[in-house]
Formats: sequence, C-alpha cells, structure tokens
Amino acid sequence: MSKIKIKLDGKEIVADSTKTILQIAEENGIQIPTLCYNQKVSRTTSCFVCVVKDVKTGRFLPSCSSCPIDGQEIESSSDEVSDMRKTALELLLSEHAGDCEAPCTVACPAHANVEEYVRAGRKGDFLESLKIIKERIPLPMSIGRVCPRFCEKDCRKNVTGKPVAINDFKRLAADMYYKSYMEELPPLTGKKVAVVGAGPAGLSTAYYLRRNGIESVVYDKMPKPGGMLRYGIPEYRLPKAILDTELAHFTKMGITFECNRKLGDNLSMQELKDNFDAIAVTIGCWKPGSMRCEGEEFAVQGIEWLEKIALADWSGDNPGKVIVVGGGNTAMDCVRTSVRLGSPDVNCFYRRTEAEMPAEQIEIDEAREEGVKFSFLTAPVKLRKAAEKLIMTCIKMELGEPDASGRRRPVPIEGSEYDVEADCVIAAIGQKTDAPTDLRTNKWGDIDVCEDTYHLEENVFAAGDCVTGAATVVEGVAGGRKIALGIVDFLTGSKHEPEYQINVSRGHWRSLADEDLVYLRSDVSEEPRVALEFIPLDERKTTFKEVCETLPREKMMAEGERCIECSCTAKGDCKLKKFSEEYAASPEAIKGEKIKSGYDNRHPVIIHDRNKCIKCGICVKVCKEVVNANLLSAKQRGFSTKVETAFGQQLPISCKDCGKCISECPVGALDWKIKE
Amino acid sequence: MNISDKITRIRVGTASCGIAAGADEVLELIKKNAGNIPVEEVGCIGHCYAEPLVDIETVDGVVSFSHVPATEKGVANLLSLSSEGRFSVPEGRKAKELHKVIRLAGRICPTSYDEYVANGGYEGLCNALAMQPDEVVGEVKKSGLRGRGGGGFPTGMKWGFLAAKKAEQKILICNADEGDPGAFMDRSLMESVPHQVLEGMLIAAYATGATKIFIYCRAEYPLAIKHLQIAIEQIYARKLNDLNGRSLEIIVKEGAGAFVCGEETALIHSLEGKRGTPRFRPPFPTDSGWKEWPTMINNVETFGNVPLIIAEGGEKYAETGTEGSKGTKLFALAGDLKYPGLVEVPMGTTLAEIVFEIGGADPENVKAVQTGGPSGGCIPVELFDTPVDYDSLRSLGAIMGSGGMIVIGKNRCMVETARYFLDFTHRESCGKCTFCRIGTKRMFETLERIVGGNGVPEDLDFLEDMGNKIRKGSLCGLGQTAPNPVLATLRYFRNEYEAHVLKHQCEALICNALVDVKLEQSNCIKCKLCIKNCPVDAVSDDFIIDNNKCTRCNTCIEVCPKNTIFRVKKGEGFYSE
Repeated sequence: MSKIKIKLDGKEIVADSTKTILQIAEENGIQIPTLCYNQKVSRTTSCFVCVVKDVKTGRFLPSCSSCPIDGQEIESSSDEVSDMRKTALELLLSEHAGDCEAPCTVACPAHANVEEYVRAGRKGDFLESLKIIKERIPLPMSIGRVCPRFCEKDCRKNVTGKPVAINDFKRLAADMYYKSYMEELPPLTGKKVAVVGAGPAGLSTAYYLRRNGIESVVYDKMPKPGGMLRYGIPEYRLPKAILDTELAHFTKMGITFECNRKLGDNLSMQELKDNFDAIAVTIGCWKPGSMRCEGEEFAVQGIEWLEKIALADWSGDNPGKVIVVGGGNTAMDCVRTSVRLGSPDVNCFYRRTEAEMPAEQIEIDEAREEGVKFSFLTAPVKLRKAAEKLIMTCIKMELGEPDASGRRRPVPIEGSEYDVEADCVIAAIGQKTDAPTDLRTNKWGDIDVCEDTYHLEENVFAAGDCVTGAATVVEGVAGGRKIALGIVDFLTGSKHEPEYQINVSRGHWRSLADEDLVYLRSDVSEEPRVALEFIPLDERKTTFKEVCETLPREKMMAEGERCIECSCTAKGDCKLKKFSEEYAASPEAIKGEKIKSGYDNRHPVIIHDRNKCIKCGICVKVCKEVVNANLLSAKQRGFSTKVETAFGQQLPISCKDCGKCISECPVGALDWKIKE
Repeated sequence: MNISDKITRIRVGTASCGIAAGADEVLELIKKNAGNIPVEEVGCIGHCYAEPLVDIETVDGVVSFSHVPATEKGVANLLSLSSEGRFSVPEGRKAKELHKVIRLAGRICPTSYDEYVANGGYEGLCNALAMQPDEVVGEVKKSGLRGRGGGGFPTGMKWGFLAAKKAEQKILICNADEGDPGAFMDRSLMESVPHQVLEGMLIAAYATGATKIFIYCRAEYPLAIKHLQIAIEQIYARKLNDLNGRSLEIIVKEGAGAFVCGEETALIHSLEGKRGTPRFRPPFPTDSGWKEWPTMINNVETFGNVPLIIAEGGEKYAETGTEGSKGTKLFALAGDLKYPGLVEVPMGTTLAEIVFEIGGADPENVKAVQTGGPSGGCIPVELFDTPVDYDSLRSLGAIMGSGGMIVIGKNRCMVETARYFLDFTHRESCGKCTFCRIGTKRMFETLERIVGGNGVPEDLDFLEDMGNKIRKGSLCGLGQTAPNPVLATLRYFRNEYEAHVLKHQCEALICNALVDVKLEQSNCIKCKLCIKNCPVDAVSDDFIIDNNKCTRCNTCIEVCPKNTIFRVKKGEGFYSE
C-alpha cells in the first residue's frame, strides 16, 4: 500500500493507490453511482455510470476499476460528468423493457396502488385492500361506485379480453370495512386550515391534512356536505345514505363542516385569512354552460335540475316528453333521472356521434336499456314556446376536421333544419367555475394557481374542478391530496418540490400482443370478467334504487386471479430507477428498438425477465465466483447480448435455496416471483 | 501446345485473391500442359486487380501475365511466351512503392523453407541468436518500429516490458485476427511468407524470454492457417524453436470470427476459452495476460518487420519513414480506383501519392479516403497532402488502423458510407459497455432514419453528442473508435447530412428513399429491355417508370443499352395516382 496525493472534486486528499477511485470517493463522502460494480465479484467495468473525469488528460475513467495515480485531479460531480452518467442511464433505459409501475396505477389520477389492492383482495384481505386504497382515495365508497375507471381502460388484460374489474374491489373493500376502519392519526400540530367547498376535492384536502396532523373546517354553500356527490350525481348511482356513511368518517376524524356558507356571499376571504393558517379553495364548477341558441331560456339547466331533485330527496314531477341536449355524464344523469320520474319519452340529442360522446359507455348502455332514445349529429338552433309545449328547431350535423380536442368537429348541414316538440328541454352542455371576483382566474374562468404547488396567493391554495374545469371525482380527490401536501409543506416551511419519478413502460396495451405480456404466475385466470349484478330493469326505471349491487367477496377474489400483476418486482429497490431519478434521466430521451429477449418463469419461485436486463454481468459472476455453480452466461454479441442458462434450460429447483444472483441484480431481471 | 524452351519455372499466384479470380483452374491447366517444367504455387505480389497472375521464370528473366483466363488458349498463350496479356507493374506503383516486408511475397513458394532461406530468410534469427536478448530488444527500440495493428505503440518498449518480467512462463501472442472489412495485409503475409512472420516471432521469443507462442488467427483464413502450420512443422523439424534453453510450443488458435477479439484483452479471454470481451487495463497483458502470465501481443505485420530490422540493423531500418513513424506500411487499397491491391510504401508517403499515383484513382472523381477501416475516419480529398503516419492521421480524426484504405468516389453518399461502417461496428460490439452496446445501435438507427429520408436536424446533434460520448465511455478500441466514421463525415461532409435532413436530398443519388428513377424518352430506342427485366413491372408500355412501384433496384439502368434511365432527385420521377 502506497500513499499518494490526489485532488477529488477540488479537495486535496491522501489516498491509497491500490484502492479504486470509487472506494476512495466513498471514504471521502462522495457517492458515485454504479450498476455493474459489486464487491462480491470481480469487476466487470461495463455500465459506465460510475465515470469520473481525469481533469489533466480530459479522459473519462470508470471509477469502479481505475486506481488513482499520484497528482491526479479527479472530477466526480461536474456537469460534464453528470451528463455522461445521465446519458449512460438514458441509454440503459432505452433498451430496458419493463413496467416500473403497473399501467392501472399510472392511469389512476390519484395513483392509487391498484395492483396491490387487487392482490390483497385476491387473497381475501379486503381490509388491507381498503388501507392501500385510502392512501390515495379517501372516498372509496363513492368512487367505488361512480369512478369512470381510468385504471381499467389501461389494464393489460385488455390484450386478451376484458379488463380486471378493478373498481369493484374498491367498492367491496369499502362496503366491508369503511365503517370499522380508522386510520392512525398523528397528533394535531395546532395549525388550522379552512377548506371552502365540501365536494370531492375539499373532502380530500381535509382528509390528507388531518392525516398530516392539521385540523380543518370545511365550508359549503349547500345545506349538506358532499358537493356534486350529493347534488349532482343521482341517487341511483350513489345512494345518499352511503355518502352520509362516508362523511360520518370525516367527522369522526375531527373534521368539522359548516354548511350554508357561500364564499363571497356569507363567507369572506378576509374572514378566513384572519382565522386560519391557510385556505384551500375547492369550490367546484357549478355554473351551467350555454346551449348558445335562441330561446335557450326556455330550457332548464341540467345541474340545476338535478340539484332541485336532490334537494327534494330524489323526487319530482313527471317531466313529460324530455329532450336532453348534450353527451356527457350529466346528460346521462338527466335522461336516466327523467326515466325514473316517469317520463314516457326520453331523448338525448348530441351534435356528434356516439363514438365522440364524453359520457362513459356504461352510462350510455344503461340509459339505452332503460329506454332512452338517442339522436346523434343533431344540434338545437332555436327553442320557442307554443301553447303548453316547447318547439325545438334542430339542425343535422356532419363531422369535419378534428378540433383541438382531437374529436372531429361537427359542421351543420345547410337546410337540414326540422322541428321537434317536447314538454321539457334540459341543457347539459357542461359546467363552469363560478369564482368570487376577488380570486384570480384564467381565460377559462378557472382559478389560476401555480401548476406545481397549487398556490394562488399568500396562504391561499386551490384545487379540484375550480382549477381544472369540470372533471371526475377521482381527479378532484387527487387534486385535494396534492394541495393538502402543498399546504403541509407551506405550513411547516419546507420547500415543495414535486418529486421526479420515472416510469418505464412496455407500452400501451393496444401496442402489445399476447406474447408481449409477462406473467409472474403461471396460473393467471383467463375466465371472463366478473359480471355486474343489476337490480331488475323495472325497478331501475321506476325507483332511484342503486342500479347495481356490490359484488360478493368470493366473486371478487376469483376476479383478482385474472390480474397479470404488471408492475416490476424490483420497483422498490431498482438501482436503475433510483439513479435515473437522481440524474433526471428520462426513459423517453433516447428512443429505439428494444429487443424482445423473452422471459423465463418456469422455475417455481424465480422469474428471469431478460427484457429488463442491463447486462451488468453480476449474476453471471455471482453464480460462477461466489456460488460456484456457473449456471448463467452471456450469449450473442452487441445489442443482442443476453444472459441465459446453457441451452436455455430451466434454472434448477435448488436455486430457490440460493437466490444470490437475485439479491445482487441491480434491476428486476432476476427476481423472486412473490410480490408482497 | 507450343511451349517455350526458355522456361525454367512457372509461378502461379494462388493466394486467396488469386483463387477468387480463378487461379486454381489456371494452375490445373498449366500443370496439365507444362510437361516437366516445375510449376510452383506462390503468394500474392499485391496486384489483386490483375489476378490471376502467372510469373514465368525464363533464362532471360521473369515474364509476367495478368488476367490469365482458365482456358487452353490462355495457357497456351503464356507457355509460348506470347507478347499478349503481359503484365507490368504500373509506373506509379513502381515509382512510389517500396517493397521490404512483402519483398518475397509472390516470388517464393510460401511453404518452402529452403526457398525462404535461399532468399535471405532466417538471417535475422541468426543475427539475433548471436546477440544478447537485451541487445535484440535494443535493436528493435532503435528501429522505431511501432505496432502495426493500429495502436502504434512502440514495439521495442513493449518487448522491454516482457523481457524485464521474471516469471516461470511468459507468453507471446501473434494477433492474426485481422477483422476490418477490406483489410488483408496480414492474410497476405501469412499466406505468402509465413516463415517471415514466424521468424519475427522466434526473434521476439528469444529477445523477451517467452516460453510459449500463440498465433490467434481467424478461422476465415484457412490458407494462411495451412501455410503457417506447414511452416511450423518445418521449424520444429529444424529445432529453430529451441530457444532460451527450452523447446517452444507454437500453437495456432483459430478465432471464431468476433471482430472484438482483435482487441488484446478480448483475444486473451478467447484464448483462455472465455467469452471474448475486453477488460479494463491496467493490468496490462505484459503484467498479467494469458492465464495471468506476463503476455505480449504483436500484430502479424509487426512480426513481419522484425526479421528485416535484425538483419539490417535498427538504425538502417529507421532510415525509412518519418520522425515518429519508421519503416514501411502495408495498405490494403480498395474502393473507387484503378489498381486495388496490397501496397507497401514508406511511412510519410502522402495520401495523394497512394491514392492517385499508386492506386491510379481519377483525381476528378475522388471525394475522400477512409483509413483504418470501420474504426477509422474519412479524409477529404482537400487534405490528401497529409503524410501517412500514425500522428498525422490521428490529428485529422482518422487513424492508421491496421492498413485498410478505401477510396471513396464522388458518386458515393457519405451518410450512407457512415451508416455502412456503423452497421458493421454496432453488430460487432461485444455487448459489454453501455455506450458501445446501446449507443452505437442508437446512432445506427438514427443513420438508418436519415438515409431513409426521415431524418430531422436534431439527429445531427444527437449523432455528434452520442459519438463523442461513446468515444469517452468505452473500455476498448472498438467502442472508442466506432463513432469515428460518423464523426469524421460529420466534420468534413456536414453539408451532405444537412441535405438529407433539411432538404431530404441525397446529392449522390445513392439513398433509395430520396431518389426517383426516370427514363429519358428522347434517347429511348424502345427495345423494351427495361420492361422485360423490371422485377416489379414498374415500367409501363409507353416507357414511363412508376416510382410508386419502383424499388430502385437499378436493374433497368443496368440493362438499358442507351443509358437513358437515370436516378434523379426524389420528386422528379413519375408517380401514378
């Protein structure tokens, strides 16, 4: 051992010339990332993530293998070095084919850990399911009923059949345990926040504030809390008794509600600013959109109409012949409510075709089952009153070029006007934010917040529909959680930094074939998706009873067997992911072919997914040098290089007792099959 | 058949280049007709364009014939010493070449020990054995010889490292894994003068105290391996391998064809029976090589130079060449020129001399020359006054490499040329280092996109950035040099890249995606050859080529007797609705 002097990141140090630069850096508190270096085996020097720069020669050295020489000046944290490391990581990401997170979890606006709660359900542990769900979704009873199921639209099961009935797990878990389960709450910090608006976003804000030890008072303009859950979504989709159960939990958590308080009316910003440490504005979208046609004052507004019926506890007069104008979920709520109020003739007029309807397909289908008639490519041009009837002049439309939303623009066909008669015309054209004048708004009339922090001004934050425009309950809940965390940071004085997370994806299921799916278990069920259990159609059409029953536990456990479990087994301890996030390396930065080198799940407890392999060679060396079994080797050359057993044989059963390659694999290429 | 009685011996060039041109058949016919005249198979004299070549030794001197057809008539022609079909070395080559290393190539029988000795062979070894080993190393140092495999490391210094090692075993390896496409210097030497290469190795073994010799030769060189093995048997028979008090084993190991095994650490791994991947250095092989014994690796051509140095002395050897690069260098000259083949020139000869005077290329039609094969770079014609030596070439972003030299005519597309070379290197990457394994693939994909007409301006920045990073972030010479063809063409021919990505044009009309095919009606004689030969029925009955159908295969252009079908810029051809 000989002592030499070197300079490392500008610091003079005395180093042992037989040690590598990586070791010396570590001893001096400088962390250098590496993927292929492993103390247990001889060095490979392949990943080049550990590069440092020799300042004098300008050369880049793999620090895992280079020993320093006297007088050497080494840079380990300059921009140039970071750029090299980032590029090495981006190159590895560009050939790394796997899914960090399951597509369902990525698709969920609240990023609920779908795969895990489905897995818990599959095993029959619905309490665990509920706990996982509530990490992200504080309203599982409601969302378990009304969610448009973003997760299911991206579910990989779509490749071979219908998606896993994910939302039904949420509904069952919540129905089973919501009342009895109380999350552990930290002691209150003494800070107090006012939440304005007791809809999904406001409720979520209050919930996550409390889970972080912050007390809140939730104000709402309506007589009862719940917002659109109570006054927009009809009883037959979300029974209000269920909503009351859900809200009772908030009260149990110590969240207080003050109803009949409207911001800018009998509640002022100043009053809130004076009495609270922070204010969350979550007032939603309650202003109806316009039909933009002559005589529209003769129509009733969908959301106002539903609100009126809600206030009358889901009762009202038979509206006679109804025409609902619009194609969204509110339009569906209006037509289906009309059916239930006894209307003999319910019609939905939409200016594009069914394919462009923003409403959920299941809503359209169920409306049709209940007798609703649809007229597509039809738009109102004029509404007038004649005797006791309304006469609506419509025009036929055709689809032109796609507009900004990507949907084809409806264009009126000249001279195609015709008249229809109705007793009641309901406009369900969309909703807008009705912001008090003292809050800053953008050109769409929505509250104008900072995109990352949801910060509006001083100690005022905003989220939900009033920021994003009318959206879904789950999106409102997601927004509520984000501002809750933003407010926590604001109140504790920590800097709010949205964390950089990468997600490698095998791609949308539409781009994948059956053979592209990677199965962890060999017994993934190929049974058809569990069927919904409807109440009799007659009952649906004449009462506001909930349309579907919650599915039974056994059926949902069986449904869970259909889940492919797409996420990576190593997502918690993947070094490639960790360093990529550290160096802001993006999986999208460098594009190109990803070789399909297959996977091997023949071993009962081990999966070898070569598509994820970064060719660091550690497994080959561990098996050879540590275990002395020599079961793995690199095959082929260049970009086609892969690690495999001799002649592609199955790994011996005895590997289950070793697993040394698994514990050293820096990614999830070799892993235990079990996910917990 | 009229056979001249002046003939004393006939030499037929049956190295691989000759065989490819039909020399085997010519040899058979000569043997059948030559009666008692001795017919000898010899190696290559370097004039590959003229094969099959036959030298007739006569009482009045040697008469040579080129392009000898394998017919009775052709053979009769040469046996009668007719004046037809005579071969003489082109003036430019005569004037500018200096044959030292290949002095005997094609002149003597490769597998004749006696003929080699009769022509001064093994003089070097004799001289060496009369000296102390360190004196031999000193001579090599004095000669200024640098590694001919491409790296250019001073050979004497390397010998000194091994000589200084005290070890029970010391290993000498001859790197004969010549892998550059278009390079055949080493093959030619081993096929034509195997004894010269072996003599170099024996001298090296004596000087360094080596105990074992490996020749790592690619299996694609069966003739070279055969000649080496015959020569080794002859050496064993004469106990020339009894050096330093022990009998040295000389083992020919056939490589399985991985380009990367030309890299010394990968080569050693392969020799050890492991996967051929390079490792980090240090330790250098002279400290820890084959099975951890001190090991020295020299290239075939380097060994080929050694007997000359020891025969004539290091100082005399160093009279040839430039300040930093001594001696001569072999080049495998190929591409758009008149006289492709193996040439030997003094270090410092300019590119212009090699390409125009020796190679006979048309100065009007040369755009660049690629040196160093797929790891090298191209040098534009404007810089052809550059002397060929290790340091000058490196300063231009090219390398000497092992000696491949490809002349690129004006009708070539430089983007496509770069793509071609990268196609080779990205496949030949051993797959170990991230930058080389994935980076070259991504560069290749980008180049494919550009020549496919789908390039965008950002692609050029990507190529440059990634190319530089692959250079910096690779373990061995393969990765460190793989981006050279792209970086060099980007440096000297950026305009061509820009035309591809900005205007979607290939000026050389090479890249099929950016080219249409058009028949000029005015000169057409309506012979219908184009219609008959088009494989996709793209030529209509009224002689219009439909570029929607046309695959740009060039068949019509080749068959047209009036040369009235052309490749034109994309958009200038006809497209059916």
